[in-house]
Amino acid sequence: MRIVAIETATGATSVALGDGRTVAASAGRADRRGHVGFLVPALDFCFAQAGWRPQEIDVVAVDVGPGLFGGIRAGLATAQALAGAAGVPLAPVCSLDAVAFQASTAHRRIWAVVDARRGEVAVAPYRPVPGGVMRDGAVELVSANAFRGLLEDDPTQKLVVGDWEALPAGELTGVHGVRTGGPRFPSAAAVMEVARGLAEREAFPHPDEVRPFYLRDPDVRINWSDYRREGPWPG
Amino acid sequence: MSEPLVLGVETSCDETGVAVVRGDTVLSNVLSSQVEAHARFGGVVPEVAARAHVEAIRALTHRALARAGVHPMDLDAVAATRGPGLAGALMVGFSYGKALAWAMSKPFLGIDHMEGHLFAPRLEGPDYRPPAVVLLASGGHSQIVHMPDWGVYEVMGSTIDDAAGEAFDKLARFLGMGFPGGPAIDRAAEGGDPHAVRFPRALPDRPFDFSFSGLKTAVTIYVRRHHQAGTLPPMNDVAASLQEAIVDVLVEKTLNAVEASGATTIGGGGGVLANRRLRARLGEEAERRGIHLHLPAPTLCTDNGAMIACAGVFRYRRGERTPLEAEVDSSLRLGS
Ligand SMILES: [Zn+2]
Repeated sequence: MRIVAIETATGATSVALGDGRTVAASAGRADRRGHVGFLVPALDFCFAQAGWRPQEIDVVAVDVGPGLFGGIRAGLATAQALAGAAGVPLAPVCSLDAVAFQASTAHRRIWAVVDARRGEVAVAPYRPVPGGVMRDGAVELVSANAFRGLLEDDPTQKLVVGDWEALPAGELTGVHGVRTGGPRFPSAAAVMEVARGLAEREAFPHPDEVRPFYLRDPDVRINWSDYRREGPWPG
Repeated sequence: MSEPLVLGVETSCDETGVAVVRGDTVLSNVLSSQVEAHARFGGVVPEVAARAHVEAIRALTHRALARAGVHPMDLDAVAATRGPGLAGALMVGFSYGKALAWAMSKPFLGIDHMEGHLFAPRLEGPDYRPPAVVLLASGGHSQIVHMPDWGVYEVMGSTIDDAAGEAFDKLARFLGMGFPGGPAIDRAAEGGDPHAVRFPRALPDRPFDFSFSGLKTAVTIYVRRHHQAGTLPPMNDVAASLQEAIVDVLVEKTLNAVEASGATTIGGGGGVLANRRLRARLGEEAERRGIHLHLPAPTLCTDNGAMIACAGVFRYRRGERTPLEAEVDSSLRLGS
């Protein structure tokens, strides 16, 4: 199986090609911006490295969030186009699932964290299972304080992974049974591995049902100065 | 030799547009308008626009190809708007178009949205050609562009405050006429007297530039005076008169540019060019002066994928290619 995975939901952008277990080629960079300029050159590089052609792939996996709205949309639009051109399905992956997957060798309950900005984080609990992790609670958008409350209510030994550094320093100190770990951001390789499960079950949604996972309503402030910014914009 | 077959993708503001064009012929031109999504806010909300684009773009592209009866592998190139526009909105169509082109090993062309508007009249007839003066007016832009030759642009004038469409939007909102303001005021002006109220025409000493903030203030004061006096302002007359003020300025400055440049053709683009009074007035003045006037149908004046594909055909023929590393440019300037 040939999986192309695209990860643009957080401060680390990456692309990976592989069969779902091993990576044939990957490229990445740490930046919250510049997804549009990075993605296609990275795909071009990886396909050349792996000796693949776009027409030969089987599935395109993409992180649909939660995370950076702009990055998620750039990644999803790129994935939609590639999947459409190749005539293959899209496999949407939740960023928290990918983060938790990267810690699947832990022998504790895993709490995955992705920065949602504005003083909030997206979180979800997981338990390790053979070959990966299983989400065993809701994905929630919470303040740092509310997250502390969720951890305090969880009596098990816990490992907090992902972007917990986005929380105010010391926010998790003194919570019973908590350890923190890395990596900080999900990788395209993890997205690829999570997508393998979907691919093996052929549990693909219709491509028009693959939507970003925002967790937050749009900011509807009308900024009239947006009508011009530094220069004119069309309408 | 057959004409280039180009897919055009437009997502700079609140319309998702995808089209297939062969040469100067539109084979399909499909649109997913977000007007209703933004109407309740009285203006375009950037985050709402970006969300709608990513939900529409895939299905819309498939529809455009199906309507054109074109297999994607038959395309010669893919073109997508690079700017100017709302960054988050631009990123969707630009990423999609670029990835589609790359996956099919086709050339990719990032297009200046304004160049798209400048090319749109070409889709309706072969006799639209330089040297031309083109009035571009919409919710985000008001510019007069002199085009001595295809691909050569001199911005002669622009707005120093509000865009013309923005003035329509803000005034329509103030008057409670709805969004988008242009069509709302166009309708309200029906049966109104355009000379009932003499609203100010700004910047007489700058022949090609616009300003609409003084008009906004004048309309506000006029309506408030009525309210303070306990009388209802004659809304049809107010709509017709403010529309006349905007149209007067747009027409006069365009004619100034024609005279100064010696152009023999007038073109138009942008949503404001769908205004019936503006079209009629430009028609009268062009006829009086013996100048060719090319105003595309309203559906090609507002944002659409066909104009992007049309400019893409031009760039493709010149052998241009946009590098895969390219980013969107929300403040792209014509000719830069
Ligand atoms: Zn426009």
